[in-house]
Amino acid sequence: MSTATAELLLDVKNLNAAYGSTAVLHGLGFTLQRGGITAILGANGAGKTTTLRAICGMCTRQGEVWFEGERIDHRKTEQITRLGVAHVPDGRGTFTDLTVEENLRLGAYTRRDRAGIAQDFELVYGYFPKLAERRHQQAGTLSGGEQQMLAISRALMLRPRLLLLDEPSFGLAPLVVKEIFAIMRRINQQQKVSLLLVEQNANLALDLADHAYLLETGRIVLSGPSAEIRQNDSVRRAYLGT
Amino acid sequence: MDNFIHQFVAGLANGGIYASIAVALVMIHRSTQLLNFAQGEMAMFSTFIAWALMQSGFGYWSAFGVTIVVSFLMGLCVERFIIRPVAAHTRSHLPLVVLFIGMLLIFNSMAGWIWSYDVRPFPSPFPDVRILGGYATAHQVGSILITLLVVVGLYLFFRFTSLGLAMRAAAQNPASSRLVGIRVDLMLGLGWGLAAAIGAVAGMMVAHVLFLEPNMLGAAVLYGFAAALVGGIDNPWGAVLGGFLLGVIENLLGTYVIGDDMKLTLALVIIVAVMTFRPAGLFGVTMVRRV
Amino acid sequence: MAAISDNTAARVVPPVSLAAPVVSGALRTGGLSRLERTGLVLLLALACALPLLVTDYRLFQATMTLIYAIVLFGLTILTGYSGQISLGHGAFYALGAYTTAILIARLGMPYWATLPIAGAVCMVVGFLFGRPALRLQGHYLALATFALAVATPQFLKHKSLQGWTGGVQGITLEKPSAPFGLPMTPDAWLYLLTLFVAVVMFVLGRNLLKGRIGRALLAIRDHPTAASAMGVNISLYKSLAFAVSALFTGVAGGLGAIVVQFVAPDSFHPLLSILFLVGAVIGGLSSWWGPLFGAMFIQFVPNFAEDLSKSAPWAIYGVLMILSVFLLKKGIAGALEGGWRRLTRSRRSSSPTAGAPTSGTTPSSETP
Repeated sequence: MSTATAELLLDVKNLNAAYGSTAVLHGLGFTLQRGGITAILGANGAGKTTTLRAICGMCTRQGEVWFEGERIDHRKTEQITRLGVAHVPDGRGTFTDLTVEENLRLGAYTRRDRAGIAQDFELVYGYFPKLAERRHQQAGTLSGGEQQMLAISRALMLRPRLLLLDEPSFGLAPLVVKEIFAIMRRINQQQKVSLLLVEQNANLALDLADHAYLLETGRIVLSGPSAEIRQNDSVRRAYLGT
Repeated sequence: MDNFIHQFVAGLANGGIYASIAVALVMIHRSTQLLNFAQGEMAMFSTFIAWALMQSGFGYWSAFGVTIVVSFLMGLCVERFIIRPVAAHTRSHLPLVVLFIGMLLIFNSMAGWIWSYDVRPFPSPFPDVRILGGYATAHQVGSILITLLVVVGLYLFFRFTSLGLAMRAAAQNPASSRLVGIRVDLMLGLGWGLAAAIGAVAGMMVAHVLFLEPNMLGAAVLYGFAAALVGGIDNPWGAVLGGFLLGVIENLLGTYVIGDDMKLTLALVIIVAVMTFRPAGLFGVTMVRRV
Repeated sequence: MAAISDNTAARVVPPVSLAAPVVSGALRTGGLSRLERTGLVLLLALACALPLLVTDYRLFQATMTLIYAIVLFGLTILTGYSGQISLGHGAFYALGAYTTAILIARLGMPYWATLPIAGAVCMVVGFLFGRPALRLQGHYLALATFALAVATPQFLKHKSLQGWTGGVQGITLEKPSAPFGLPMTPDAWLYLLTLFVAVVMFVLGRNLLKGRIGRALLAIRDHPTAASAMGVNISLYKSLAFAVSALFTGVAGGLGAIVVQFVAPDSFHPLLSILFLVGAVIGGLSSWWGPLFGAMFIQFVPNFAEDLSKSAPWAIYGVLMILSVFLLKKGIAGALEGGWRRLTRSRRSSSPTAGAPTSGTTPSSETP
């Protein structure tokens, strides 16, 4: 266990990732402090989704990934999950043939504390009352926004210390997105879960996040507090449309 | 009319066997999208193990129990050492079919080698009497009941236990399952183990009727497939219903219409017809294949 | 009722499969090098001279080997090239055999004329069966064809057809002797006839695969959706491939009937279909020689193994099937070919694979 990285929640060093023979990430490096919300911005194909996948062991990767001082880059996805990293994947990844409640139960699959799990059900239904209404409905019949809520909730049922979100705004109506992003902030503050989100919608992301990274063709080209990134000229031109 | 009822009941009893095999097939298909051609031979092999145990002094039910456990482990090992290494590296179905055929041949010839091809009787745990007004033997009714017991047990397991839920999840969406910490590979192995155990039960029930020999379940597997297809290949209840339906239809048609010797042709016709005209079966859901 | 799944994340591997199908391959259709051509000619010469070298019984075995090779070649077209599995080719073998037997015994046709008819009948039936069946993927097709194989003996024994098929007893044929009073034993004559037919079928098949049909089949096998988007009529080509493989098997069946002089339902049990698949896989689906090696394998292994026990041959087949998936990925022929290629790599300047449609890339290393 490296003492230098003990305070950091996530420490990524020199991460390369590839699909087959196509390299997507080139020597990526960044860190996450405990407690904050961090955004990774970039255009389509920049490698944002791949970054999250690489952290979770869902693709071929080389390099170092440290989570809470433990090295996870050679571990299997299910092991990484058990360490406290929850990933809401690109496309939500809900179990469409199972009910809302079953989806949530699965989120807590690795936990043994019955009381805690019951509490978290309450918590999650508190954040997303719509899910409570539909708890016995098949997840596949939920609307896009509700599925996103379900996906986030399922991730929360893990009581993770790090929550990864892949394009949470994708395909959702603006009002719904606003609602979800507001709840994400509450989750971060109330549950002390650190968030790492990947977003194409830079505006939304910079509003929510404390810190941001800009990814271009598999490399980090810009990094800093969101306010700074927001002021950056090239970011404004390319991603914020101002 | 009398004969009709006899044939009906006999059909139900056979149907119970087909139903069991069909359930085992459905189990494997749900988790792997694969049709296990070797299911019948594995079940037959398990039945021989039970027989061997009984020969060396075990009582029926203890042999039954041990066989189930051994079969479970057998299924687990097959998945772990034979299926998994190959399935991990290829999307093509050919190597897997080849594997299944290979296993079919190995189980069959191993049984023949160890225990020879002689036909031998297999005991029944039920008394040798006719019941229900003489229309059925205790064994027939008993095996139907056992089939139903197994299926209900499975239902309860999958519906109400955490492990069952995890297995369902792993079968439906392995990637998301990993994201909640489910050890998908283990779930797959358990699925195979369960299927093998169910097959063992089916084998032990049918051995009393068909007599135990290595080629005992050769045709039954085909019926199992037909039943599973009719019921919807991913639907265990459909498989059960399909099994009973098939057993009854086969027997009645065999007696009154086409003669005993065309039963296998009937299975063929059903299989091809279902696959051509109604691939989702009677109760299945057609899955949209993502491009 | 199935909701459109929001599950793109479920697909974490890229859309194009980079893992090769284990028994993969294109049969090389490039030209042969001088060395290979010479070798082929020598081989043919040796084959023709065989009757002078071995006993009648050995000739019979060689004939059966060639017959199986024809079947396996048909299967290779279907499975190796078109990517479909059949566990039911025993049925077509039986159909070809019975067609021949019936034509000879009931209609008095000369034996050599029955072969094209046997082939044609099987081709038509193959096409008709293939049309609906080939909408099925992989193991479903295997199941349907297996059902065909299982049903065939029962079907052949049926009382209503007994007049033609001879029921359980089957039909016995007379052994033809060499025509025009040529000075050779019947076994030798049958061997040469079979050799001739085998070569003809082989050339026909190769020409078929070299052209548009072969490329279309490969495209269908490896990238079906793309092929369909490009206008390739998938079901037609698949059915054609099935029909052609049935044709080959039917001709072989006809030859089999003539050579063995006997057809009966129980000779065509379902294990025969499995045996064919075994031969095709172990011989190798990606080489022109595969069918021959596979045929030799299924012909001669029982001879050795049956001394051990009745079940030994099948145990060996089973083990080898599994091993072939794990290790010998391209079957015996592929392994030999690999060796040959390594041996001759230094000698040759131009690769014989130039211009050949290749398929099956090397397996990628995926998530550790």
